[in-house]
Amino acid sequence: MTNGEHIREEDLLLLALGALPDDEATNLLAHAKSCAECAAKLAEERGHAATLAFAAKQEIPAATVKVELLARIHAEREKEEHYKWPLKKDEVRQIPSPKKDGTSMNEGKLNWLQWVLIPVAAVFLIATALMWKSNRELKAELAKANHDLIDIQNQRQRTEMIVDVLSAPDTVSVRMAGSGESAKSIGSANYNARRGVLLYTAVLPPLPQDKVYQMWLVPTTGSPISAGVFSPGPHGNRELWTATIPLNTQAKAFAVTIEPAGGVPQPTGPKVLLGAS
Amino acid sequence: MRPEGATNELVSDWSLMARVVQKDEGALSALYDRYSGLVFSEAKRILRDTGAAEEILQDLFYQIWRTAERFDESRGSLGGWLMVAARNRAISKLRRKTGKAEELDENTVSMHVDIESRASQNLLLDKVRAVMGSLPEGQREAVECAYFEGMSHSEIAAKTGQPLGTVKTRIRSAMETLKQVLS
Repeated sequence: MTNGEHIREEDLLLLALGALPDDEATNLLAHAKSCAECAAKLAEERGHAATLAFAAKQEIPAATVKVELLARIHAEREKEEHYKWPLKKDEVRQIPSPKKDGTSMNEGKLNWLQWVLIPVAAVFLIATALMWKSNRELKAELAKANHDLIDIQNQRQRTEMIVDVLSAPDTVSVRMAGSGESAKSIGSANYNARRGVLLYTAVLPPLPQDKVYQMWLVPTTGSPISAGVFSPGPHGNRELWTATIPLNTQAKAFAVTIEPAGGVPQPTGPKVLLGAS
Repeated sequence: MRPEGATNELVSDWSLMARVVQKDEGALSALYDRYSGLVFSEAKRILRDTGAAEEILQDLFYQIWRTAERFDESRGSLGGWLMVAARNRAISKLRRKTGKAEELDENTVSMHVDIESRASQNLLLDKVRAVMGSLPEGQREAVECAYFEGMSHSEIAAKTGQPLGTVKTRIRSAMETLKQVLS
């Protein structure tokens, strides 16, 4: 890669730009370390390459970065002061003459500093601890707020979807009714085949824990399609359940059956609600 | 009353560095104000991550504080050194390389353009952007892949589907254009 003794100009440029493979760059850098001429040329090329940094979109760093940097420096200086090696005996002799009370000037200054610095450091530590605690609480609050926001957004999207489906002219509304023991039960289904969305609600008695209600769409051709399992609320609250169905599935009827907890791929239990499309 | 920072711009980088060696925080603060935007923007352009760019910015200035005595005018341009060091650290982070920071930062950087004052920085920003905007697409892409993505010439050739010789020529031509404008 070198032309005689020196690095070729083309390679110097690529090296400065960081465009050489690692092994090649290592060899050339080793040469530049021992060759003042190549080192000087490389420094020039680095200078040219560095101007490319000016092509980046200019942004201002957060003010906290500088605050943290200065705090880091202060902490380091305090640590250095604290762990400063004690003076040797012959160095002690050079300490300025003692004051009348017998303490040296440095000693007096140190005592005075200690009286000031210890409370200041204590206050600083307490303030830091409080800020850390406050920061942690704020972070937790922020996380909760973000979580709530996502919930609200999800609810809003669901509501918009429901309004869209219910107001769409091609949505079919079907009333479902019970018979026999479940004659008092009722339900309704709103189905939009184009969007593949089924909305349904039902008033049904509570079930034992090992049983669930399962909603079915009975297509014009083929087997019933599950639209999910559901359980009425403890107080018989009427909820609106949603299910997605393969697009453009034409429905012949809708039905609700009682099935084992978790649901089944095809209906097996008694039919409690039925409505023809 | 002088506007904030006006005094700083009258003092050269190396004069400020001499004060940093004496542990003058004000001097470090002035250097930070002078170069933090450039260093942060460069690191962020490479990493596309604000937090990581801020970390590099803070670490670089902390290194300057801790090892100020190792910096002197023989290093060339302090601003240039900062740009190169920030770039190297960001690329190492990007490519998950594990080179020692000290090794990366031994570089000497000579710049013939003044970047110590805000005005000269702004002027250079305009010039470099104008040059980059005027370069043929292939040249600009090759230079950006190398500098901001840390790609070697062979990686750029593989990415762009161009022969290695073409990539080298494009990089050389782009850098020649940049040097001409800056000179």
